[in-house]
Amino acid sequence: MTRAPSPSASSIFLRTVYARAYPRLVSTLGRERSWMLTEIALPLLGTIAMVYVYQALHAPRPYLGFVVLGGCMLAYWQNVLWSMATQFYWDRDNGTLELYVISPTSLFAVLLGMAFGGIVVTTARAAVVLATGSLLFGVAYEAGGVVPALGAFVVTLIALYCLGSVLAALFLFYGRDVWNLSTALQEPVYFVSGFYFPVRSLTAYVGGAASLLPLTLGLDAVRQLLLPGAVALVGPGVETLVLAAQVPFYAWLAVLAFRKLEEKARREGRLVLRGA
Amino acid sequence: MSALAATRDSSAQRTWRALRASTRLGWEISSNWTRPALFLIYAVLRPVSAALILAVMYRVVAGDSEQTRGYLGFLVVGSAFWSFAQQAFTDFANAISEDRGRYRQLKYIYTAPVPFTVYLLGRAASQLGSALASVAVVLLMAAPLLHLHLNPRDVDWPLLLVATLLGAVAVMSLAMACSVLLLGAHDSYGYGEIIASCLYIIGGAIFPIAVLPGALSTLAAWLPLAYWLELTRRALLHDPAAQMFASTGDLGVLMRLLGTTVLLIVLSAALLRYADRRARGQGLIDKETHW
Repeated sequence: MTRAPSPSASSIFLRTVYARAYPRLVSTLGRERSWMLTEIALPLLGTIAMVYVYQALHAPRPYLGFVVLGGCMLAYWQNVLWSMATQFYWDRDNGTLELYVISPTSLFAVLLGMAFGGIVVTTARAAVVLATGSLLFGVAYEAGGVVPALGAFVVTLIALYCLGSVLAALFLFYGRDVWNLSTALQEPVYFVSGFYFPVRSLTAYVGGAASLLPLTLGLDAVRQLLLPGAVALVGPGVETLVLAAQVPFYAWLAVLAFRKLEEKARREGRLVLRGA
Repeated sequence: MSALAATRDSSAQRTWRALRASTRLGWEISSNWTRPALFLIYAVLRPVSAALILAVMYRVVAGDSEQTRGYLGFLVVGSAFWSFAQQAFTDFANAISEDRGRYRQLKYIYTAPVPFTVYLLGRAASQLGSALASVAVVLLMAAPLLHLHLNPRDVDWPLLLVATLLGAVAVMSLAMACSVLLLGAHDSYGYGEIIASCLYIIGGAIFPIAVLPGALSTLAAWLPLAYWLELTRRALLHDPAAQMFASTGDLGVLMRLLGTTVLLIVLSAALLRYADRRARGQGLIDKETHW
Protein backbone atom coordinates (compact mmCIF):
# COMPACT_ATOMS: atom_id res chain seq x y z
CA MET A 1 0.00 0.00 0.00
CA THR A 2 1.39 3.41 -0.95
CA ARG A 3 0.84 6.49 1.18
CA ALA A 4 -0.56 9.57 -0.49
CA PRO A 5 2.04 12.33 -0.57
CA SER A 6 1.56 14.96 2.12
CA PRO A 7 0.57 18.36 0.78
CA SER A 8 3.26 20.99 0.98
CA ALA A 9 3.08 23.82 3.52
CA SER A 10 2.40 26.37 0.79
CA SER A 11 -0.39 24.22 -0.63
CA ILE A 12 -2.02 23.97 2.82
CA PHE A 13 -1.65 27.72 3.25
CA LEU A 14 -3.32 28.50 -0.07
CA ARG A 15 -6.07 25.94 0.48
CA THR A 16 -6.77 27.49 3.88
CA VAL A 17 -7.00 30.96 2.34
CA TYR A 18 -9.49 29.66 -0.21
CA ALA A 19 -11.44 27.66 2.37
CA ARG A 20 -11.85 30.69 4.66
CA ALA A 21 -12.72 33.08 1.84
CA TYR A 22 -15.30 30.68 0.37
CA PRO A 23 -17.96 30.83 3.12
CA ARG A 24 -17.63 34.60 3.24
CA LEU A 25 -18.48 34.83 -0.45
CA VAL A 26 -21.17 32.17 -0.43
CA SER A 27 -22.87 33.29 2.79
CA THR A 28 -23.22 36.90 1.76
CA LEU A 29 -23.66 36.65 -1.98
CA GLY A 30 -25.83 33.53 -1.98
CA ARG A 31 -27.27 32.32 1.28
CA GLU A 32 -27.84 35.22 3.68
CA ARG A 33 -28.84 37.99 1.31
CA SER A 34 -30.25 40.06 4.18
CA TRP A 35 -26.66 40.86 5.20
CA MET A 36 -26.16 42.42 1.78
CA LEU A 37 -29.12 44.73 2.45
CA THR A 38 -27.70 45.85 5.80
CA GLU A 39 -24.20 46.37 4.52
CA ILE A 40 -25.25 48.31 1.43
CA ALA A 41 -28.07 50.27 3.02
CA LEU A 42 -26.18 51.65 6.01
CA PRO A 43 -23.30 53.34 4.14
CA LEU A 44 -25.63 54.41 1.32
CA LEU A 45 -28.19 56.03 3.64
CA GLY A 46 -25.42 57.78 5.59
CA THR A 47 -23.98 59.07 2.34
CA ILE A 48 -27.34 60.35 1.09
CA ALA A 49 -27.98 62.17 4.39
CA MET A 50 -24.61 63.92 4.27
CA VAL A 51 -25.03 64.88 0.60
CA TYR A 52 -28.30 66.60 1.52
CA VAL A 53 -26.50 68.49 4.29
CA TYR A 54 -24.02 69.86 1.74
CA GLN A 55 -26.88 70.67 -0.64
CA ALA A 56 -28.65 72.56 2.15
CA LEU A 57 -25.42 74.48 2.71
CA HIS A 58 -25.16 75.20 -1.07
CA ALA A 59 -21.69 73.63 -1.06
CA PRO A 60 -19.72 73.38 -4.32
CA ARG A 61 -20.39 70.14 -6.23
CA PRO A 62 -16.99 68.48 -5.48
CA TYR A 63 -18.09 68.22 -1.85
CA LEU A 64 -20.82 65.82 -2.92
CA GLY A 65 -18.08 63.67 -4.44
CA PHE A 66 -16.22 63.88 -1.13
CA VAL A 67 -19.20 62.35 0.63
CA VAL A 68 -19.80 59.62 -1.96
CA LEU A 69 -16.16 58.48 -1.84
CA GLY A 70 -16.31 58.61 1.97
CA GLY A 71 -19.41 56.40 1.85
CA CYS A 72 -17.50 53.79 -0.20
CA MET A 73 -14.64 53.73 2.29
CA LEU A 74 -17.13 53.51 5.12
CA ALA A 75 -18.25 50.13 3.75
CA TYR A 76 -14.67 48.84 4.04
CA TRP A 77 -14.20 50.17 7.57
CA GLN A 78 -17.43 48.48 8.65
CA ASN A 79 -16.24 45.26 7.06
CA VAL A 80 -12.89 45.48 8.84
CA LEU A 81 -14.59 46.11 12.18
CA TRP A 82 -17.38 43.56 11.94
CA SER A 83 -15.84 40.85 9.79
CA MET A 84 -12.14 41.02 10.66
CA ALA A 85 -11.65 42.57 14.09
CA THR A 86 -14.54 40.77 15.78
CA GLN A 87 -14.38 37.56 13.73
CA PHE A 88 -12.06 35.48 15.95
CA TYR A 89 -14.14 36.55 18.91
CA TRP A 90 -17.27 35.10 17.24
CA ASP A 91 -15.24 32.06 16.14
CA ARG A 92 -14.17 31.40 19.71
CA ASP A 93 -17.76 31.78 20.84
CA ASN A 94 -19.09 29.21 18.36
CA GLY A 95 -16.20 26.79 18.82
CA THR A 96 -14.47 27.28 15.46
CA LEU A 97 -11.36 28.97 16.82
CA GLU A 98 -10.19 25.85 18.64
CA LEU A 99 -10.55 23.91 15.37
CA TYR A 100 -8.38 26.49 13.59
CA VAL A 101 -5.72 26.19 16.27
CA ILE A 102 -5.53 22.39 16.28
CA SER A 103 -5.59 22.09 12.50
CA PRO A 104 -2.24 21.84 10.63
CA THR A 105 -2.45 25.34 9.20
CA SER A 106 -1.58 28.90 10.06
CA LEU A 107 -3.93 31.43 11.65
CA PHE A 108 -2.53 33.95 9.18
CA ALA A 109 -3.85 31.90 6.30
CA VAL A 110 -7.25 32.05 7.98
CA LEU A 111 -6.88 35.81 8.40
CA LEU A 112 -5.84 36.21 4.78
CA GLY A 113 -8.88 34.23 3.66
CA MET A 114 -11.12 36.38 5.79
CA ALA A 115 -9.57 39.53 4.34
CA PHE A 116 -9.74 38.30 0.75
CA GLY A 117 -13.38 37.23 1.04
CA GLY A 118 -14.22 40.47 2.85
CA ILE A 119 -12.57 42.64 0.22
CA VAL A 120 -14.39 40.93 -2.65
CA VAL A 121 -17.80 41.14 -0.99
CA THR A 122 -17.30 44.70 0.26
CA THR A 123 -16.08 45.88 -3.14
CA ALA A 124 -19.43 44.81 -4.59
CA ARG A 125 -21.19 46.85 -1.89
CA ALA A 126 -18.92 49.86 -2.26
CA ALA A 127 -19.52 49.78 -6.02
CA VAL A 128 -23.28 50.00 -5.39
CA VAL A 129 -22.74 52.97 -3.04
CA LEU A 130 -20.43 54.68 -5.56
CA ALA A 131 -22.72 54.13 -8.54
CA THR A 132 -25.93 55.06 -6.71
CA GLY A 133 -24.44 58.13 -5.00
CA SER A 134 -22.75 59.38 -8.16
CA LEU A 135 -25.80 58.88 -10.37
CA LEU A 136 -28.32 60.25 -7.87
CA PHE A 137 -26.38 63.45 -7.23
CA GLY A 138 -24.58 63.87 -10.57
CA VAL A 139 -21.04 63.58 -9.22
CA ALA A 140 -18.32 63.68 -11.90
CA TYR A 141 -14.76 62.41 -11.46
CA GLU A 142 -11.46 63.22 -13.18
CA ALA A 143 -11.02 60.46 -15.76
CA GLY A 144 -7.23 60.81 -15.80
CA GLY A 145 -7.07 60.14 -12.07
CA VAL A 146 -8.88 56.80 -12.14
CA VAL A 147 -5.85 54.53 -12.63
CA PRO A 148 -3.58 56.21 -10.02
CA ALA A 149 -6.58 56.38 -7.65
CA LEU A 150 -7.09 52.64 -8.08
CA GLY A 151 -3.41 52.08 -7.25
CA ALA A 152 -3.66 54.18 -4.07
CA PHE A 153 -6.93 52.44 -3.21
CA VAL A 154 -5.41 48.95 -3.49
CA VAL A 155 -2.50 49.90 -1.21
CA THR A 156 -5.02 51.42 1.23
CA LEU A 157 -7.02 48.20 1.34
CA ILE A 158 -3.94 46.07 1.98
CA ALA A 159 -2.83 48.35 4.83
CA LEU A 160 -6.37 48.51 6.17
CA TYR A 161 -6.85 44.74 6.31
CA CYS A 162 -3.42 44.37 7.95
CA LEU A 163 -4.68 46.77 10.61
CA GLY A 164 -7.82 44.62 10.78
CA SER A 165 -5.61 41.61 11.57
CA VAL A 166 -4.03 43.51 14.46
CA LEU A 167 -7.49 44.40 15.75
CA ALA A 168 -8.60 40.76 15.40
CA ALA A 169 -5.85 39.72 17.82
CA LEU A 170 -6.60 42.51 20.26
CA PHE A 171 -10.38 42.10 20.17
CA LEU A 172 -10.07 38.37 20.78
CA PHE A 173 -8.74 38.97 24.23
CA TYR A 174 -10.60 42.14 24.97
CA GLY A 175 -13.38 40.50 26.96
CA ARG A 176 -17.14 40.42 26.73
CA ASP A 177 -19.51 41.98 24.23
CA VAL A 178 -16.79 42.98 21.84
CA TRP A 179 -19.33 44.51 19.44
CA ASN A 180 -19.63 47.44 21.81
CA LEU A 181 -16.00 48.17 21.03
CA SER A 182 -16.68 47.89 17.31
CA THR A 183 -19.67 50.19 17.65
CA ALA A 184 -17.52 52.69 19.55
CA LEU A 185 -14.98 52.67 16.71
CA GLN A 186 -17.48 53.74 14.05
CA GLU A 187 -18.51 57.41 14.33
CA PRO A 188 -15.28 58.60 16.01
CA VAL A 189 -13.29 57.08 13.12
CA TYR A 190 -15.67 58.62 10.57
CA PHE A 191 -14.88 61.91 12.25
CA VAL A 192 -11.08 61.77 12.60
CA SER A 193 -10.57 60.15 9.19
CA GLY A 194 -12.61 62.84 7.44
CA PHE A 195 -15.15 60.54 5.80
CA TYR A 196 -17.42 63.46 4.93
CA PHE A 197 -15.04 66.43 4.79
CA PRO A 198 -11.37 67.12 3.97
CA VAL A 199 -9.33 65.78 6.88
CA ARG A 200 -7.14 68.86 6.61
CA SER A 201 -10.05 70.83 8.13
CA LEU A 202 -9.23 69.17 11.46
CA THR A 203 -5.78 70.86 11.37
CA ALA A 204 -2.58 69.22 10.18
CA TYR A 205 -1.83 67.83 13.66
CA VAL A 206 -5.11 65.95 14.01
CA GLY A 207 -4.92 64.89 10.36
CA GLY A 208 -1.35 63.65 10.91
CA ALA A 209 -2.37 61.65 14.00
CA ALA A 210 -5.40 60.24 12.16
CA SER A 211 -3.03 59.12 9.39
CA LEU A 212 -2.18 56.12 11.54
CA LEU A 213 -5.46 54.79 10.17
CA PRO A 214 -4.85 53.83 6.54
CA LEU A 215 -8.34 55.07 5.68
CA THR A 216 -7.38 58.67 6.36
CA LEU A 217 -4.50 58.82 3.90
CA GLY A 218 -6.14 56.51 1.37
CA LEU A 219 -9.32 58.55 1.23
CA ASP A 220 -7.38 61.80 1.00
CA ALA A 221 -5.23 60.45 -1.85
CA VAL A 222 -8.18 59.03 -3.80
CA ARG A 223 -10.09 62.31 -3.43
CA GLN A 224 -7.16 64.36 -4.68
CA LEU A 225 -6.82 62.13 -7.72
CA LEU A 226 -10.51 61.93 -8.59
CA LEU A 227 -11.70 65.35 -7.48
CA PRO A 228 -8.99 67.84 -8.45
CA GLY A 229 -8.81 70.98 -6.34
CA ALA A 230 -9.71 69.11 -3.16
CA VAL A 231 -8.16 70.42 0.06
CA ALA A 232 -5.40 67.91 0.85
CA LEU A 233 -3.30 66.82 3.78
CA VAL A 234 -0.19 66.14 1.64
CA GLY A 235 0.27 65.06 -1.98
CA PRO A 236 -1.17 61.70 -3.14
CA GLY A 237 2.30 60.34 -3.92
CA VAL A 238 3.53 60.88 -0.36
CA GLU A 239 0.30 59.47 1.05
CA THR A 240 0.62 56.32 -1.06
CA LEU A 241 4.22 55.88 0.07
CA VAL A 242 3.23 56.18 3.74
CA LEU A 243 0.44 53.68 3.12
CA ALA A 244 2.91 51.30 1.50
CA ALA A 245 5.09 51.62 4.61
CA GLN A 246 2.09 50.88 6.83
CA VAL A 247 1.56 47.49 5.14
CA PRO A 248 4.68 45.74 6.56
CA PHE A 249 4.32 47.66 9.83
CA TYR A 250 0.77 46.47 10.53
CA ALA A 251 1.56 42.98 9.19
CA TRP A 252 4.50 42.74 11.63
CA LEU A 253 2.33 44.09 14.43
CA ALA A 254 -0.33 41.47 13.65
CA VAL A 255 2.25 38.65 13.74
CA LEU A 256 3.60 39.94 17.03
CA ALA A 257 0.16 40.37 18.57
CA PHE A 258 -1.00 36.90 17.54
CA ARG A 259 2.15 35.19 18.82
CA LYS A 260 1.93 36.93 22.19
CA LEU A 261 -1.77 36.51 22.60
CA GLU A 262 -1.89 32.92 21.36
CA GLU A 263 0.78 31.93 23.86
CA LYS A 264 -1.03 33.80 26.64
CA ALA A 265 -4.33 32.21 25.65
CA ARG A 266 -2.87 28.70 25.61
CA ARG A 267 -1.45 29.25 29.10
CA GLU A 268 -4.70 30.63 30.47
CA GLY A 269 -6.97 28.24 28.59
CA ARG A 270 -8.83 31.10 26.92
CA LEU A 271 -8.85 29.77 23.38
CA VAL A 272 -11.84 27.61 24.24
CA LEU A 273 -13.53 30.01 26.63
CA ARG A 274 -17.06 30.79 25.44
CA GLY A 275 -19.28 33.70 26.29
CA ALA A 276 -16.32 35.46 27.89
CA MET B 1 -65.68 46.74 45.61
CA SER B 2 -62.63 45.72 47.58
CA ALA B 3 -62.10 42.57 45.48
CA LEU B 4 -62.23 44.63 42.27
CA ALA B 5 -59.84 47.22 43.69
CA ALA B 6 -57.49 44.48 44.82
CA THR B 7 -57.47 42.99 41.31
CA ARG B 8 -56.80 46.40 39.80
CA ASP B 9 -54.07 47.08 42.32
CA SER B 10 -52.38 43.79 41.78
CA SER B 11 -52.56 44.27 38.02
CA ALA B 12 -51.00 47.75 38.29
CA GLN B 13 -48.42 46.49 40.74
CA ARG B 14 -47.61 43.56 38.48
CA THR B 15 -47.14 45.91 35.54
CA TRP B 16 -44.93 48.19 37.61
CA ARG B 17 -42.85 45.26 38.82
CA ALA B 18 -42.50 44.00 35.26
CA LEU B 19 -41.41 47.44 34.07
CA ARG B 20 -38.83 47.70 36.85
CA ALA B 21 -37.51 44.19 36.24
CA SER B 22 -37.23 44.63 32.47
CA THR B 23 -35.59 48.03 32.92
CA ARG B 24 -33.01 46.47 35.22
CA LEU B 25 -32.51 43.60 32.79
CA GLY B 26 -32.02 46.01 29.89
CA TRP B 27 -29.54 48.05 31.92
CA GLU B 28 -27.53 44.97 32.92
CA ILE B 29 -27.44 43.59 29.38
CA SER B 30 -26.40 46.89 27.85
CA SER B 31 -23.94 48.08 30.45
CA ASN B 32 -22.47 45.30 32.58
CA TRP B 33 -19.72 44.52 30.08
CA THR B 34 -17.73 47.43 31.45
CA ARG B 35 -17.43 49.94 34.29
CA PRO B 36 -20.13 52.66 34.56
CA ALA B 37 -17.70 55.48 33.72
CA LEU B 38 -16.57 53.73 30.54
CA PHE B 39 -20.16 52.96 29.66
CA LEU B 40 -21.01 56.65 29.96
CA ILE B 41 -18.17 57.57 27.59
CA TYR B 42 -19.31 54.82 25.22
CA ALA B 43 -22.89 56.11 25.33
CA VAL B 44 -21.96 59.68 24.37
CA LEU B 45 -19.14 58.90 21.94
CA ARG B 46 -21.42 58.26 18.99
CA PRO B 47 -23.72 61.31 19.27
CA VAL B 48 -20.80 63.61 20.09
CA SER B 49 -18.85 62.37 17.04
CA ALA B 50 -21.94 62.70 14.82
CA ALA B 51 -22.43 66.30 15.98
CA LEU B 52 -18.74 67.08 15.43
CA ILE B 53 -18.85 65.66 11.90
CA LEU B 54 -21.76 67.96 11.05
CA ALA B 55 -20.11 70.95 12.72
CA VAL B 56 -16.91 70.47 10.68
CA MET B 57 -18.89 69.98 7.45
CA TYR B 58 -20.66 73.24 8.19
CA ARG B 59 -17.44 75.10 8.97
CA VAL B 60 -15.74 73.81 5.81
CA VAL B 61 -18.46 75.31 3.64
CA ALA B 62 -19.86 78.26 5.59
CA GLY B 63 -16.88 79.37 7.67
CA ASP B 64 -17.43 80.83 11.11
CA SER B 65 -19.38 83.99 10.51
CA GLU B 66 -22.10 85.17 12.90
CA GLN B 67 -24.57 85.43 10.00
CA THR B 68 -24.46 81.75 9.12
CA ARG B 69 -24.40 80.39 12.68
CA GLY B 70 -28.15 79.75 12.63
CA TYR B 71 -27.75 76.66 10.51
CA LEU B 72 -25.00 75.36 12.78
CA GLY B 73 -27.48 75.51 15.68
CA PHE B 74 -30.00 73.72 13.45
CA LEU B 75 -27.49 70.92 12.80
CA VAL B 76 -26.28 70.50 16.36
CA VAL B 77 -29.70 70.51 18.05
CA GLY B 78 -31.19 68.20 15.41
CA SER B 79 -28.27 65.81 15.62
CA ALA B 80 -28.31 65.80 19.44
CA PHE B 81 -32.03 64.99 19.69
CA TRP B 82 -31.88 62.51 16.85
CA SER B 83 -29.70 60.22 18.96
CA PHE B 84 -32.86 59.44 20.96
CA ALA B 85 -34.72 58.33 17.84
CA GLN B 86 -31.70 56.40 16.57
CA GLN B 87 -31.39 54.59 19.88
CA ALA B 88 -35.10 53.80 20.06
CA PHE B 89 -35.29 52.18 16.63
CA THR B 90 -32.04 50.29 17.15
CA ASP B 91 -32.71 49.16 20.72
CA PHE B 92 -36.28 47.91 20.38
CA ALA B 93 -35.37 45.90 17.27
CA ASN B 94 -32.11 44.54 18.69
CA ALA B 95 -33.72 43.69 22.03
CA ILE B 96 -36.31 41.48 20.34
CA SER B 97 -33.72 39.98 18.03
CA GLU B 98 -31.38 39.16 20.95
CA ASP B 99 -34.14 37.84 23.20
CA ARG B 100 -35.32 35.47 20.50
CA GLY B 101 -32.04 34.40 18.92
CA ARG B 102 -29.32 34.82 21.49
CA TYR B 103 -30.98 34.35 24.88
CA ARG B 104 -33.99 32.32 23.61
CA GLN B 105 -36.27 33.97 26.14
CA LEU B 106 -38.80 35.68 23.91
CA LYS B 107 -41.44 32.94 24.14
CA TYR B 108 -41.27 32.99 27.96
CA ILE B 109 -41.67 36.77 27.98
CA TYR B 110 -44.64 36.47 25.64
CA THR B 111 -46.30 33.94 27.93
CA ALA B 112 -45.68 35.97 31.11
CA PRO B 113 -48.75 37.72 32.62
CA VAL B 114 -47.65 41.25 31.64
CA PRO B 115 -48.22 43.15 28.40
CA PHE B 116 -45.36 42.58 25.98
CA THR B 117 -45.14 46.31 25.26
CA VAL B 118 -44.44 46.97 28.96
CA TYR B 119 -41.54 44.53 28.87
CA LEU B 120 -40.23 46.04 25.64
CA LEU B 121 -40.43 49.55 27.06
CA GLY B 122 -38.46 48.54 30.13
CA ARG B 123 -35.94 46.53 28.11
CA ALA B 124 -35.04 49.61 26.08
CA ALA B 125 -35.57 52.20 28.86
CA SER B 126 -32.00 52.25 30.13
CA GLN B 127 -30.59 52.82 26.65
CA LEU B 128 -33.20 55.48 25.96
CA GLY B 129 -32.28 57.11 29.26
CA SER B 130 -28.62 57.19 28.28
CA ALA B 131 -29.66 58.61 24.88
CA LEU B 132 -31.46 61.46 26.65
CA ALA B 133 -28.36 62.02 28.79
CA SER B 134 -26.26 62.14 25.62
CA VAL B 135 -28.58 64.88 24.24
CA ALA B 136 -27.68 66.99 27.26
CA VAL B 137 -23.96 66.17 26.96
CA VAL B 138 -23.86 67.09 23.24
CA LEU B 139 -25.63 70.40 23.87
CA LEU B 140 -23.47 71.23 26.89
CA MET B 141 -20.32 70.55 24.89
CA ALA B 142 -21.49 72.23 21.69
CA ALA B 143 -22.58 75.52 23.24
CA PRO B 144 -19.12 76.75 24.31
CA LEU B 145 -17.13 74.88 21.64
CA LEU B 146 -19.17 76.10 18.67
CA HIS B 147 -20.23 79.44 20.20
CA LEU B 148 -23.93 78.58 20.01
CA HIS B 149 -26.39 80.86 21.75
CA LEU B 150 -27.67 78.28 24.22
CA ASN B 151 -28.54 79.69 27.58
CA PRO B 152 -30.60 77.69 30.14
CA ARG B 153 -32.35 80.92 31.22
CA ASP B 154 -33.53 81.60 27.67
CA VAL B 155 -34.88 78.11 27.06
CA ASP B 156 -38.63 77.83 26.63
CA TRP B 157 -38.87 74.85 29.01
CA PRO B 158 -42.63 74.15 28.71
CA LEU B 159 -42.37 74.06 24.90
CA LEU B 160 -39.27 71.87 25.06
CA LEU B 161 -40.89 69.42 27.49
CA VAL B 162 -44.15 69.14 25.55
CA ALA B 163 -42.32 68.71 22.24
CA THR B 164 -39.91 66.14 23.67
CA LEU B 165 -42.73 64.18 25.30
CA LEU B 166 -44.81 64.06 22.10
CA GLY B 167 -41.74 63.29 19.99
CA ALA B 168 -40.66 60.49 22.32
CA VAL B 169 -44.14 58.91 22.33
CA ALA B 170 -44.29 59.07 18.52
CA VAL B 171 -40.81 57.61 18.07
CA MET B 172 -41.31 54.83 20.60
CA SER B 173 -44.70 53.76 19.24
CA LEU B 174 -43.35 53.40 15.71
CA ALA B 175 -40.12 51.79 16.91
CA MET B 176 -42.04 49.18 18.93
CA ALA B 177 -44.30 48.30 16.02
CA CYS B 178 -41.32 48.00 13.65
CA SER B 179 -39.41 45.81 16.08
CA VAL B 180 -42.25 43.27 16.31
CA LEU B 181 -42.68 43.40 12.53
CA LEU B 182 -38.97 42.56 12.16
CA LEU B 183 -39.58 39.20 13.82
CA GLY B 184 -40.48 38.12 10.29
CA ALA B 185 -36.85 38.51 9.20
CA HIS B 186 -34.48 35.63 9.75
CA ASP B 187 -31.65 37.82 11.02
CA SER B 188 -33.00 41.27 11.80
CA TYR B 189 -29.95 42.51 13.69
CA GLY B 190 -29.10 45.91 12.19
CA TYR B 191 -32.50 46.46 10.55
CA GLY B 192 -33.55 48.86 13.29
CA GLU B 193 -30.55 50.98 12.41
CA ILE B 194 -31.57 50.95 8.74
CA ILE B 195 -35.06 52.18 9.63
CA ALA B 196 -33.51 54.91 11.80
CA SER B 197 -31.17 55.89 8.94
CA CYS B 198 -34.11 56.17 6.52
CA LEU B 199 -35.98 58.39 8.97
CA TYR B 200 -32.79 60.41 9.54
CA ILE B 201 -33.04 61.51 5.92
CA ILE B 202 -36.71 62.48 6.04
CA GLY B 203 -36.92 63.54 9.70
CA GLY B 204 -35.56 67.08 9.33
CA ALA B 205 -32.74 66.26 11.75
CA ILE B 206 -29.81 67.69 9.82
CA PHE B 207 -31.32 69.57 6.88
CA PRO B 208 -34.70 71.18 6.17
CA ILE B 209 -37.23 68.78 4.67
CA ALA B 210 -37.75 71.29 1.82
CA VAL B 211 -34.38 70.14 0.40
CA LEU B 212 -35.85 66.67 -0.23
CA PRO B 213 -37.42 65.73 -3.57
CA GLY B 214 -41.23 66.13 -3.77
CA ALA B 215 -42.54 62.72 -2.64
CA LEU B 216 -40.07 62.41 0.23
CA SER B 217 -40.80 65.96 1.33
CA THR B 218 -44.55 65.18 1.44
CA LEU B 219 -43.93 62.01 3.40
CA ALA B 220 -41.73 63.96 5.84
CA ALA B 221 -44.53 66.50 6.34
CA TRP B 222 -46.89 63.69 7.42
CA LEU B 223 -44.50 62.47 10.11
CA PRO B 224 -44.15 64.15 13.52
CA LEU B 225 -40.33 64.02 13.50
CA ALA B 226 -39.70 67.30 11.69
CA TYR B 227 -42.21 69.16 13.92
CA TRP B 228 -40.71 67.66 17.08
CA LEU B 229 -37.20 68.77 16.10
CA GLU B 230 -38.47 72.15 14.91
CA LEU B 231 -40.03 72.85 18.32
CA THR B 232 -36.91 71.73 20.21
CA ARG B 233 -34.86 74.16 18.09
CA ARG B 234 -37.34 76.97 18.69
CA ALA B 235 -37.36 76.29 22.43
CA LEU B 236 -33.56 76.21 22.65
CA LEU B 237 -32.30 78.66 20.02
CA HIS B 238 -35.02 81.26 19.33
CA ASP B 239 -33.27 81.82 16.00
CA PRO B 240 -35.43 82.30 12.87
CA ALA B 241 -32.45 81.12 10.77
CA ALA B 242 -32.69 77.71 12.43
CA GLN B 243 -36.37 77.22 11.55
CA MET B 244 -37.83 74.94 8.91
CA PHE B 245 -41.35 76.37 9.09
CA ALA B 246 -40.59 80.05 9.54
CA SER B 247 -44.05 81.17 8.41
CA THR B 248 -45.82 79.07 11.06
CA GLY B 249 -46.02 80.08 14.73
CA ASP B 250 -45.10 77.87 17.67
CA LEU B 251 -48.73 76.93 18.30
CA GLY B 252 -49.24 76.00 14.67
CA VAL B 253 -46.19 73.70 14.68
CA LEU B 254 -47.31 72.23 18.02
CA MET B 255 -50.74 71.45 16.54
CA ARG B 256 -49.09 69.74 13.58
CA LEU B 257 -46.90 67.76 15.96
CA LEU B 258 -49.94 66.73 17.98
CA GLY B 259 -51.97 65.76 14.91
CA THR B 260 -49.21 63.74 13.24
CA THR B 261 -48.29 62.09 16.56
CA VAL B 262 -51.87 60.91 17.09
CA LEU B 263 -51.96 59.65 13.50
CA LEU B 264 -48.66 57.83 13.91
CA ILE B 265 -49.76 56.24 17.20
CA VAL B 266 -52.94 54.93 15.57
CA LEU B 267 -50.99 53.55 12.60
CA SER B 268 -48.31 52.07 14.85
CA ALA B 269 -50.93 50.37 17.04
CA ALA B 270 -52.50 48.82 13.93
CA LEU B 271 -49.08 47.73 12.67
CA LEU B 272 -48.16 46.28 16.06
CA ARG B 273 -51.42 44.33 16.17
CA TYR B 274 -50.84 42.96 12.67
CA ALA B 275 -47.17 42.12 13.39
CA ASP B 276 -48.09 40.41 16.66
CA ARG B 277 -50.79 38.29 15.05
CA ARG B 278 -48.49 37.35 12.20
CA ALA B 279 -45.69 36.43 14.61
CA ARG B 280 -48.04 34.19 16.64
CA GLY B 281 -49.64 32.69 13.52
CA GLN B 282 -46.37 31.87 11.80
CA GLY B 283 -44.53 30.69 14.90
CA LEU B 284 -41.97 33.49 14.66
CA ILE B 285 -41.71 34.06 18.42
CA ASP B 286 -39.66 30.96 19.15
CA LYS B 287 -38.15 30.59 15.69
CA GLU B 288 -34.59 29.20 15.75
CA THR B 289 -32.34 31.79 14.12
CA HIS B 290 -28.92 30.16 14.72
CA TRP B 291 -27.65 33.34 16.41
